[in-house]
Amino acid sequence: MRFSCFYICCLLFLTLKLAAQQTDGLYSVDYRQTKVSSVVAGLEAKSGLHFYYDKLSVDSVLITAKVDRKPLNVVLTTIFQNTEINFVIHEKNIFLTRNKSIKAEIAEGYYADRIKRPPTQNELAKTMDSDLDDQTEKTLNAVTPNKIYEIGIKSNILKKGIGIVAGYVKDLRSEEPIEGAVISTADFKIKAVSNEQGLYSISLPYGPHLLNVKASGNRDSKRQVVVYGDGKLNIELREKVVSLKEVKIVSNKASNVKSLEMGVNRLDMKTIKKIPAVFGEPDILRVVLTLPGVQSVGEASTGFNVRGGSADQNLILLNDATVYNPSHFFGFFSAFNPDIVKDVQLYKSTIPEKFGGRLASVLEVTNREGDKSKITGSAGIGLLTSRFNIEGPIDSGKTSFIFGGRTTYSNWMLKLLPAEYEKSKADFHDFNLGLNHQINEKHTISLSAYYSKDNFKLNSDTNYNYNNRNVSLKWKHSINQKLNGALTLASDFYEYNIKSDVNQVNAYKLNFNINQSTLKYDMVYALNSKHTLNFGISSIHYKLSPGNFTPLGNESLVVPDIVPTEQALESAIFIGDQFDVSNDFSINAGLRYSFYNYLGPQVIRNYPSNLPITEDNLLGTTTYGKNKFINSYGGPEIRVSARYNFKPDLSVKAAYNTLRQYIHLLSNTTAIAPTDVWKLSDPNIKPQFGDQVSLGLYKNFETQGYETSVEVYYKKLKDFLDYRSGANLVLNQHIETDLISTKGKAYGIEFLIKRNYGKLNGWMSYAYSRTQLKMDDITIGPLVNRGEYYPANYDKPHAFNFTGNYRFKHRYNLSLNLTYSTGRPITLPIAKFNYGGSERVYYADRNANRIPDYFRSDVSFNIEGNHKVHQRLHNSYTIGFYNLTGRKNPYSVYYVQEGGVISGYKLSIFASVIPFINYNIKF
Amino acid sequence: MKRFNIYLVGLVLSLIGCKEPFTPETTSKNSNILVVEGFINAGLDSTIIKLSRTVILTNKNVINPETGATLIIETSANEARTLVEKEKGLYVTSALNFGVNKKYRLKIRTNKGANYVSDFVDARVAPPIDSVNYVVKPEGLQLYVNASDPANNTRYYRWEYEESWIFYSRYNSSSIWKGGPIAVERYPEESIFKCWGNAKSSTILLGSSIKLSKDVIHLSPLTDIVSSSERLTEKYSILVKQYALNKETYEFWQNLKKNTESLGSIFDVLPSQLTGNIRNEADGSEPVIGYISAGTTQQRRIFIEKSDLPKWQVKDPYGCMLPDTVPLFRQKDIFPGNLIVPIEAIYSPAGFLIAHLASSRACVDCTIRGTVKKPIFWQ
Repeated sequence: MRFSCFYICCLLFLTLKLAAQQTDGLYSVDYRQTKVSSVVAGLEAKSGLHFYYDKLSVDSVLITAKVDRKPLNVVLTTIFQNTEINFVIHEKNIFLTRNKSIKAEIAEGYYADRIKRPPTQNELAKTMDSDLDDQTEKTLNAVTPNKIYEIGIKSNILKKGIGIVAGYVKDLRSEEPIEGAVISTADFKIKAVSNEQGLYSISLPYGPHLLNVKASGNRDSKRQVVVYGDGKLNIELREKVVSLKEVKIVSNKASNVKSLEMGVNRLDMKTIKKIPAVFGEPDILRVVLTLPGVQSVGEASTGFNVRGGSADQNLILLNDATVYNPSHFFGFFSAFNPDIVKDVQLYKSTIPEKFGGRLASVLEVTNREGDKSKITGSAGIGLLTSRFNIEGPIDSGKTSFIFGGRTTYSNWMLKLLPAEYEKSKADFHDFNLGLNHQINEKHTISLSAYYSKDNFKLNSDTNYNYNNRNVSLKWKHSINQKLNGALTLASDFYEYNIKSDVNQVNAYKLNFNINQSTLKYDMVYALNSKHTLNFGISSIHYKLSPGNFTPLGNESLVVPDIVPTEQALESAIFIGDQFDVSNDFSINAGLRYSFYNYLGPQVIRNYPSNLPITEDNLLGTTTYGKNKFINSYGGPEIRVSARYNFKPDLSVKAAYNTLRQYIHLLSNTTAIAPTDVWKLSDPNIKPQFGDQVSLGLYKNFETQGYETSVEVYYKKLKDFLDYRSGANLVLNQHIETDLISTKGKAYGIEFLIKRNYGKLNGWMSYAYSRTQLKMDDITIGPLVNRGEYYPANYDKPHAFNFTGNYRFKHRYNLSLNLTYSTGRPITLPIAKFNYGGSERVYYADRNANRIPDYFRSDVSFNIEGNHKVHQRLHNSYTIGFYNLTGRKNPYSVYYVQEGGVISGYKLSIFASVIPFINYNIKF
Repeated sequence: MKRFNIYLVGLVLSLIGCKEPFTPETTSKNSNILVVEGFINAGLDSTIIKLSRTVILTNKNVINPETGATLIIETSANEARTLVEKEKGLYVTSALNFGVNKKYRLKIRTNKGANYVSDFVDARVAPPIDSVNYVVKPEGLQLYVNASDPANNTRYYRWEYEESWIFYSRYNSSSIWKGGPIAVERYPEESIFKCWGNAKSSTILLGSSIKLSKDVIHLSPLTDIVSSSERLTEKYSILVKQYALNKETYEFWQNLKKNTESLGSIFDVLPSQLTGNIRNEADGSEPVIGYISAGTTQQRRIFIEKSDLPKWQVKDPYGCMLPDTVPLFRQKDIFPGNLIVPIEAIYSPAGFLIAHLASSRACVDCTIRGTVKKPIFWQ
């Protein structure tokens, strides 16, 4: 049952009124998510007693309790039993304190009275040896915090020892697994985090424990357990509907300081949906851009740079499938349907050993599983796009589906434009399908499919389209209590086509495509309370058509030009151990060994090793047969991180990572253009290599709900690809002659302050970061900027972001987003001259200048319909303004000749305030 | 509903972007790079080489000729010809007559004693232009060139053009100020009413058939003329000159075009450094702008008559007002400045000369935008 605040207040008022009439020393109360101050006010009125407490420290605690005619001490015990609040009754005064250490002592003492002496060492040894499997088959579903769950075989004598409690954390309503839920003991000393399957495993000393369960999007909750031995405990959490205490980021209150991960940001859809988006449609990639260390390539682009990495150094995974082009409509929309996505994780520093193949980051987008209990859906209507999704069970709660689709109807709008734009058109659509079937307790199988297509033509005769197709199949299984595995098969396809038919003699079609097949097997083994092992294998087969240029129409004289297909195999084997040395010190040591084979059939051009790779220096070619190994690259990748807690709310972490990348996006445009091609490493193009060392300090101020962190990093890049002047990247039969490999370095410091709850929540980040490249090897080709370090295209030293949400009424909230960054580097001319009948400009040093700084503010107002659970439709609206100040942020600055004269221009993409409105229906 | 539409159009326009003039801060250091522009004509035409130096971006005046240099064209058969500086920075020779089966290069010795040399290049023989024609569109004319080489040898083409057209000043003046005291009658040979305008191409026009099975250039765009242009007043002519290039020359021009004409879209290619084929003999790292190529050229001229075109309205480029009346006694104060030019005499009803009609020079004198002299090629 979900009530709006109004109903709760009414109910509360009614209850209090009734209770006030009772004078026999017995009290009845009924609180739901009520503040301590309200509770106190009510009880003071009834009992005539005085409460003494620090309002600041206790008022963030919300009380849910119901007691019927009980004495005051019982009432107070019940009210505060699952909170950190302790009470002492002294004569007519009641003192409330919120202090963990006092609480812990009291809690243990409280239980100690009831439970008998711990067992002796001998008894313990027996327990450890005994096989408990048969008895622990029974799985407990822990739904409520008020019940005590007994784990293992109940015995009268509580033995001494450690029991492993494992199970799934799930959403009570949709039965979806909840990833990243933190299960910890009351003192936070022992904790576990649920994995993507919702699975957790925690080792607890035998005896009673109060477990805290924290998960974003769900109510924080507690479970009372008494551990007698190993056992299963599934925890089902209620979705948080009443947005009194919204968790903004999944990077959990407790987990930021305590977790081993560094430079990892998790975002859930609730957060994403509150951030103003350019056309009112929540956009995952744009929210990612507000995180420290992440920068936008440009306004019209969803390409992003993480800690000095280029846009192609981000591995973008959608349910384990690799998405090669994550954008729609020139990059104004991201390819992910916001109604389907569950959450997003960005790894920029500690990249788990199970991931590889890209240098800078891993962006993992996970879609929801369909609701297993009933058919629901939603629809959203915006100015440019509409979306629809439906989900529900297929059979009796074992199988579910989820389907989402989006389309744009921008074509009609382009028709309203002046005649000069009449030839323009742009449209896209995408579909997501997810199927999930639980075979039994131990086996789950899921299928995820994604299809997207974009067509556009902007006032020209050339037609562009591109297309993503991804399918992944995942089989998750639990081999035993400690060992879990997941087998994934995925097929990814991306292509683009360019067509031009206005000049029938030159009419052509150009196609590029990439086919990727992935097989991977990941396992998690909870060895004991101190060690958790992750290991597995993965293999990717690439088949890439770098360019098929063919005639279009009968009159075309175009000669087909086909750059031969490339094939390669990228495999890896990995193992990682999370070792909790002590409660305060943990290490995660991982090793990934990746190896790469470039496969035939192929004709390889040979160049002398000490001369630049140019057509003039070509020695000859070697032909390789089908599936022959042409050459191999490979090596170990180290992923190590460590955490030390000085205090429960203060920790320091360090990490070291090495990564290798075998596939490269070739782009000499600033933004990722839809016409950019990917290229596999071959004997002439080495894989990129990067290593990063980072150090971070984390401090939480729990009572105020603030979380702060500082991270510094230094990164080195080797064989990073840059381009010769005037490089031709499309349909180039000898692409290596236009590429140069450079060295790079990136370093920076990132500050983050986050508030996860309260009326005002959100985050603020500042990053100082530099990315510089260097090409000083004369044997590769002409030096760039005399062999000195030069800034990369996306080097923006200062970046500041503020993303905040203020909830001033239950159903109304206001979001504000501020972004500032230094302008990106550009190459500006140094001189002008007359040539070819006009003034011309001369360019010299690469990226020696910058465009003006970027600043943007967006605001949106979200109105939710009423929160009655049982009504048919739930509505919500979002209205807002993108770029509220209307600042003309330059996208580029350039010189162009017009009528024989050179003039300088500034191009802005969103050069004015853009109002938007969005209407959503949920059914 | 109307407002809604306007709002949406505005939205899309802002989507497409906003372009405004902008002068970023750039270097104030003058790099003073030598610029060599020209073409060694191996055929029967003269060869013209222009030498200049770059100026800083903020300079209003881009003309900075390199004078007093010695230029010699050499062939692979050891023939040589010295060029003569005809104007400042403009070095010329009459037809070389060395033939097309040789390699050519240019040597430069500046008056400060620095020696530059271009790489030896083959002479490329341009095939004849197949045709120059036009297409009538609602917004004006589009001019095209068609070319081909039956031997499939040319592959890379470049064109330049020169336009000429008849136009008239707004007012036909029959009076002239010859020093006063009043304006007098203008003789027909002094007419400044009908002129020929002239313009040269300022964009780089390139074409390639390298991706085609035949060496054919089909409808390669030359220029657009808007329907209200003065060029379409009466008769228009265009002379198209065709060059055959080799791959490197083509790439040089394409690079220059990309750097200076094709920027400003969302998916811009990053500007690149321009590499030519001229170098300082003592210091190979000194940048020199320019690519010297050699060969022959072909040309073709067409005429377009107003009568062949739709009834388009030509717009007066100056927006001339009605003429003013200048009484005789004021003429010695007004006409000598030559900013106001007399149009015709005004007589009183009794037949006495009392004043002249006059207008600003731009509205009366066509010679400020052209020449009254009929070009020799004009038909």
